[in-house]
Amino acid sequence: MNVSSAKDTRTELILRILIIWRLLFALIAVGGVIAIWVGSFGPGALWQKMLITILLSIASIFSAIGAAQIRRRAHAGRMISLALDYLAFFASAVLVLNIGGVFIGIDSLAENFGRGIPYLGIVLAGYFLSILDDYLPLPKQISESSLKRVGRWVALAGFILFLWNVNAVNGILNFFGRLLENGIFATLGVVVFSAAIWGMWRQPTAQALHAKTGHEQILNGWLFLSPNLLGFLIFFAGPLVLSFYFSFTDSDAFNTPKWIGFENYAKLLNIRFATLSSANQLAREVVNIKIYDEVGRFRIGNTGILFAAADKFFWIALRNTLTFALLAVPLSVIPALLLSNVLNSKLPGMKFFRAVYFMPSIAAVVGISLVWQWLYNATIGYINYFITLGVEFWNNLFNTALVDPKIQWVSDEKTALLAVIIIAAWQTMGFNTVLFLAGLQNIPGELYEAATVDGAGTWDKFWRITLPMLAPTTFYVVTTTTIQAMQVFEQVFILMNPPEGPNNSTLTLVLYLYRSGFQNFKQGYASAIAWVLFIVIFGLTLIQFQRQRKSSIYES
Amino acid sequence: MKNSLLTKAFGLLVIASFVLAACGGTRATQPPAETEAPATEEVMTEAPAMEVELRWRTRPDNQEEINVYSQISKELDAELDGITLTYEPGGTEGSNYQDQLRAEVAAGTAPDVFWIPGTDVADFATRGLILNIADLAAKTEGFDVNAFYPGPMYHLTYNPETNKTGADSGALWGLPRDVSTFALYLNLDLINEAGAPDPRELAKQGKWDWNAFLDVAQKTRALGSDIYGYGASAWWGPNGAWINAAGGSFFNADRTACALNTPEALKGLDFQRSLYADYDVAVPYGEDPEPPFRAGKVAMFQNGRWATPGVRTVTFNWDVVELPNGPAGTPGNWLFWGAYVINAKTAHPEEAWKLVQALTTAETQGKVAALGANIPSRVSQEALDAFLTFTPPANNQAFLNGIADSAKPTAEGPLWAGSWPEFDKIVGPAIQGVLTGATTVEQFGATICDEANKAFP
Repeated sequence: MNVSSAKDTRTELILRILIIWRLLFALIAVGGVIAIWVGSFGPGALWQKMLITILLSIASIFSAIGAAQIRRRAHAGRMISLALDYLAFFASAVLVLNIGGVFIGIDSLAENFGRGIPYLGIVLAGYFLSILDDYLPLPKQISESSLKRVGRWVALAGFILFLWNVNAVNGILNFFGRLLENGIFATLGVVVFSAAIWGMWRQPTAQALHAKTGHEQILNGWLFLSPNLLGFLIFFAGPLVLSFYFSFTDSDAFNTPKWIGFENYAKLLNIRFATLSSANQLAREVVNIKIYDEVGRFRIGNTGILFAAADKFFWIALRNTLTFALLAVPLSVIPALLLSNVLNSKLPGMKFFRAVYFMPSIAAVVGISLVWQWLYNATIGYINYFITLGVEFWNNLFNTALVDPKIQWVSDEKTALLAVIIIAAWQTMGFNTVLFLAGLQNIPGELYEAATVDGAGTWDKFWRITLPMLAPTTFYVVTTTTIQAMQVFEQVFILMNPPEGPNNSTLTLVLYLYRSGFQNFKQGYASAIAWVLFIVIFGLTLIQFQRQRKSSIYES
Repeated sequence: MKNSLLTKAFGLLVIASFVLAACGGTRATQPPAETEAPATEEVMTEAPAMEVELRWRTRPDNQEEINVYSQISKELDAELDGITLTYEPGGTEGSNYQDQLRAEVAAGTAPDVFWIPGTDVADFATRGLILNIADLAAKTEGFDVNAFYPGPMYHLTYNPETNKTGADSGALWGLPRDVSTFALYLNLDLINEAGAPDPRELAKQGKWDWNAFLDVAQKTRALGSDIYGYGASAWWGPNGAWINAAGGSFFNADRTACALNTPEALKGLDFQRSLYADYDVAVPYGEDPEPPFRAGKVAMFQNGRWATPGVRTVTFNWDVVELPNGPAGTPGNWLFWGAYVINAKTAHPEEAWKLVQALTTAETQGKVAALGANIPSRVSQEALDAFLTFTPPANNQAFLNGIADSAKPTAEGPLWAGSWPEFDKIVGPAIQGVLTGATTVEQFGATICDEANKAFP
């Protein structure tokens, strides 16, 4: 009874402290907002000030609500408290690691960690020594416990050597040295927030706030979800929102961005069509050449229509990207569909071929592109070499005079995009084949048996059973391949020199985005391109979804 | 249960060791490794000198250059009191040097001192990304901007506020790491086999002009369908050389507008086009000519000094010759250069300036030039004499002829009144269109400056 009473008193004390803490937290957050706008403390950019103000204001309001809820002994106070302290703890921990130089220590990690790896072998040897008796009969003179002890000491010695060689001592000194210099508040934050989490998480506090099993499950669920959720918010949703904001600014990545409204979008989408009095009339005679550039012209007899744009490269990139998708998607889906039907048979060696066709999908794009660069070389590349051999063979055999085409795969604007399409289709086909294979194995065999009884041939079975039953897989394959195709970048960037190819024939939207943002310092403009690309992809995917809904009669 | 705990503990320790290994590098400020015993009581009362760590970066072309720069870094580390140096070679296969550097500058993690190409200087300077070191230079005893080639120094001392240039302009954006220029790498075996005259002899006799060049190219091209008379990479350098040699230029005299539509510029471009289309003597434009040259299938390969280390591995007889003279009477060559500049965010500008000076001494440049990849940027007979000894090629003089005043090379340079990346983005594909037959020279001339002048806001 006395013990229980003491526990209650302790919990009451903790709850009172936590109420004060919540109020203090709210005040600190308000103080933070004031400091950002009044004092010289804090970030300089307006968007950063706004973002931090919003976050701190929300934290302050919720913290005050949390205090009131805890006072009423309502469980909502515990939920709010844990969420706020957890997020603040996470932020402080990240700050501590940042101040400690962990995030910029990749070079040191690469340099130091490799030196220690051999000593992990000693740790492993110690571990095996300690579990030896589990697998091997030991001579009588060696006792089980002594072997375990020796194994542990060997492992410990190995680990100490490992730590020494990865420069852990220096690492500890550096880490704490940096924290002492600049990280006192962040470290204090880690300690205070973890204490607050402990105070609220403990069982007696939970009981005092009328926690139920469902509450615990919710908390555990959020806790397990939090690494992924935080990762999503920080590395995906955050940049997404930020890029949307930047698309309305003149951000150059170095200076404080200025809000320019829809100017970036206006420039991207500013186009003109003008009638030409003759097919060769100069663009400057029909449009304001200080604003517009010619993108292309449609010839109609002796006249024509000129298509001009304020940013002609965007429209060229859009044209190339759509052309790429239009050709690369069928070329990587239709062969994959046919191939999967072949590989789905029970012929010997099929597993080997499935692996072979899948291999390009797992190979590094950079490596693949470099190999293809050699293959495509017009003067000493293997593709042209075999074409030449083939032409010579044909001419000798049939006494003809076929001309060796000597295709300039990557240096001719007529073939450059095709060269990239071939690589992309070749690389994606294997992955799509595996997806189709999985889809094929879900089709009930009875359908084919019934069709055979009804006298259906191979083609009929394929056309009337396989294709319709594969519709969900086909939809998934086509959708993901289209999205991938619209974002083509790596193959072009590595294969082509310069990446935009002859006469901009391989300039794609992502490449143009990259060039604008990282080579020409126009991050605001690049963000606008990214959002237009997003809308294009979203639109295409939406169309595919609608078509899928209309044709999903077999799905059920 | 116990094993599980052990596994978890081991896992945690390994993760902790990752973190500690990442922190295990040297810190930004450390006490000096050794300090001499103080000689006087006064010195003893002074605070101990702090070692300043500087990171620096330059673009290496190969592992040999990385090794040389690493060694130079170690030697300068020992020479420069109170400064600890870390050399970082930049650029990878998938991420080129400039892109990586720009991303790091934006993120605030770029090195204290880094190298940038001459064309980037204006962009970096006007955005405030690099320090104007004119004041530091003015305080430095013995420093003289005239010790370097005037072409690069014209741009490196350009003051965009006053439009003045030179030692008294009040601007200094960096110091040139080295200079370079184009030459034609010759496959002497092919030239002999074709019975073509030796371009080196023609150059000595003053007969090395476009006609002579075309004659050699055609004779060697006639050796076979897979043999080419000439090859050059697809970028502004080779294009500009033909245009310059015809008396044209990319820009007008004060570099404030496009001049690619002048008759001279179009004449140069037309001659270059004819090499690909009319005479069919060149490796197709856009195809990398280096592999076929190294395979012994190209007679004349136009490239800079930086290609020398790679060419040294070929098995045929080779040498170099200067570019042929064009109708304007000069080869129209470039004086390529790049500069060591100081990050505007460096915490140690004075130490960084010391490092920039140390990296551009005749001695340091000599060590790099010995590799054969470039030419010292200091104007000194000693440096030039030393360069001539870095053979092969036997005819190193061809490079020096290319940068000699008499050859009137055009210094590579930034656009202070416009954007070089924008200009290049417009002009590069347009020229490629001409050279691959997609557009005519006349069409190019009629429209190019309408488009390219947009790079001059």
